[in-house]
Amino acid sequence: MKLWFTAALIALAGAVRAEVLLSADEIEQTLSFGPWPPSFHSDPSNRVSNNARAIALGEALFNDPVLSVDGAFSCASCHDPEQAFTTPEARALGRVLLDRNTPSLQNLAGLRWYGWGGKSDNLWAASLHPIIEEQEMAHNADSLKTAISESTYIDEFEVLFGDIQVQDSELVLVNIAKTLSAYLETLATDQTQFDAFRDALENQDLAAAVSYPEAAQRGLQLFIGRGNCVLCHNGPRFSNNEFHDAGVPYFLNETEVDEGRFGGLNFLLSSPYTLDGNWNDDPNRQGAWAVRNVRRNHSDFGTFRTPSLRGVSETAPYMHNGSLSDLNAVIRHYSKIDTERLHADGEAILSELNLSEQEIADLVAFLVTLSKELY
Amino acid sequence: MLKHIFILGAALFCSTAIAEQRPIFDAHIHYSHDAVKLVPPEQVAKILRDAGVRKALVSSSDDNGTQLLLAAAPDIVVPALRPYRRRGEINTWMHDETVIDYLEENLTKNDYEAIGEFHAYGDDIKTPVIQRMIALAKERNLILHHHGDREAVDLIFETWPEARVLWAHSGFDDPASVVDALDTYPRLWADLAFRSDMVSRGSIDPNWKAAFEAHPDRFMVGTDTFAPERWYYVGPHADFSREWLDLLPDQIADNIAYANAERLLASQ
Repeated sequence: MKLWFTAALIALAGAVRAEVLLSADEIEQTLSFGPWPPSFHSDPSNRVSNNARAIALGEALFNDPVLSVDGAFSCASCHDPEQAFTTPEARALGRVLLDRNTPSLQNLAGLRWYGWGGKSDNLWAASLHPIIEEQEMAHNADSLKTAISESTYIDEFEVLFGDIQVQDSELVLVNIAKTLSAYLETLATDQTQFDAFRDALENQDLAAAVSYPEAAQRGLQLFIGRGNCVLCHNGPRFSNNEFHDAGVPYFLNETEVDEGRFGGLNFLLSSPYTLDGNWNDDPNRQGAWAVRNVRRNHSDFGTFRTPSLRGVSETAPYMHNGSLSDLNAVIRHYSKIDTERLHADGEAILSELNLSEQEIADLVAFLVTLSKELY
Repeated sequence: MLKHIFILGAALFCSTAIAEQRPIFDAHIHYSHDAVKLVPPEQVAKILRDAGVRKALVSSSDDNGTQLLLAAAPDIVVPALRPYRRRGEINTWMHDETVIDYLEENLTKNDYEAIGEFHAYGDDIKTPVIQRMIALAKERNLILHHHGDREAVDLIFETWPEARVLWAHSGFDDPASVVDALDTYPRLWADLAFRSDMVSRGSIDPNWKAAFEAHPDRFMVGTDTFAPERWYYVGPHADFSREWLDLLPDQIADNIAYANAERLLASQ
């Protein structure tokens, strides 16, 4: 008798818990995080975008140390496909300890800016820079041309781009970057537990929606409500892809700081590899308006690009310098943020949330569902 | 031998380039408690010198930073007394009567050219704490470095019509409104700290240009080192300032770069 009563209580409690907690407004906001995945559009600035041969060559090159001048490491050494295309170190280890956390490479197709400081406005430029960066792959255009010419990839390269020997070294560099870009465009995270919930809400399928955990729903309510995380982490990618001061210190050492967007903009505006440059394959220069019109602001200094939250639980540690070890630490950072660090007339988008332990746990529960695959 | 000549030539070129660099009076500098911990005064002094900043109006939360920096760079630092012991007091200080004790204690102990930068909007100026602070400034004829709106500016001049007021960030107001304030108050100056709307992609904004031409003797530049890391923006900011000032006639550019601030200090 006692056992029967207990079982009934559990079933009843389960029934009570299994409900959609969101208001009509909250449901409306939740729908804005999808649908997922977004439809794919090939990149007009890259003539081998969505080309199966280029994708295959890009993937092979991504995993091959031929792209580093001395064969020391490959792109995958830091962007490990087995670890959500990042690694667990706080700051990336190239030839030296680099300044920033390795960003994941998933869901990059079609962004306006790339990198923590936004030094590129297209994916092939973002793929190109590490190849020639001295602290990373350390090639120059000539050494890369030689390496590709002598590699097993030469035939595939020439099928795509023609005789390498008649190509200027810089053209070879750009072409290699465009094959990498073609591959990276294909890296997208799958539908998640959150997407199933979101789609169920859109389809008014409450029976399906109620399977989404209540803790995650409460976390979502905080995310779009009192926490106002949605201000920057919005849209299907959970990122506005712009640059903000998240209150994270940005000293590199005692006498240097990470200039963030300020340095990124300086780099971008002097780069030949933008959508407004001659290496863009698109005669219409779609998207070039951004680099033509972007303005420098004093507030750029020490700001970093809002990362996507899709797959977030697989990409610890967090923030531009990997200084926060897990999602719990990130939530606590925003909960107790040092607003004294922020300018009195700055964006004013952050304030101390003073979250309870339950609220912190709920937000983490929500974020985990952005990674948890549906099947 | 040839190599030595080349090195000498390069060195001369560099020193000439530095000598020709337009000097900067940075009218909006803070060296607050957190910066003191992370960037030593000697390093701060080096940053200022490397940036070609020949004078800097420095105020800090608390005042310890200003005094440390004054000792490290007495030729550069123009001390101002900020009514905050921590930067986080910017929204509450006007209701805290202990601020008066703090101001009086420091004014007795040290020499200052200004009180500020202080944050006050509208009727905040009428609070007893701010009224007393203005009285203290009046007793010593100190400049008031004010961060706030036009209404607060009006009330400051209503309280003390002969005040010399430096309007931080030009009130983050539009150029026409700034001109109106400068027209109204001959003893109002305006810093351009944390603003970049004067220039865009190599062109001076026409409304700002008109403002600088209308009041060539009233504007000045400033970095606003509001967080410790911002000290490393002093150099880039000086470069930015020189770059856009080069787009103006030399006389106006020199005025905004340093001469207006120096004349403000020399005024009574």
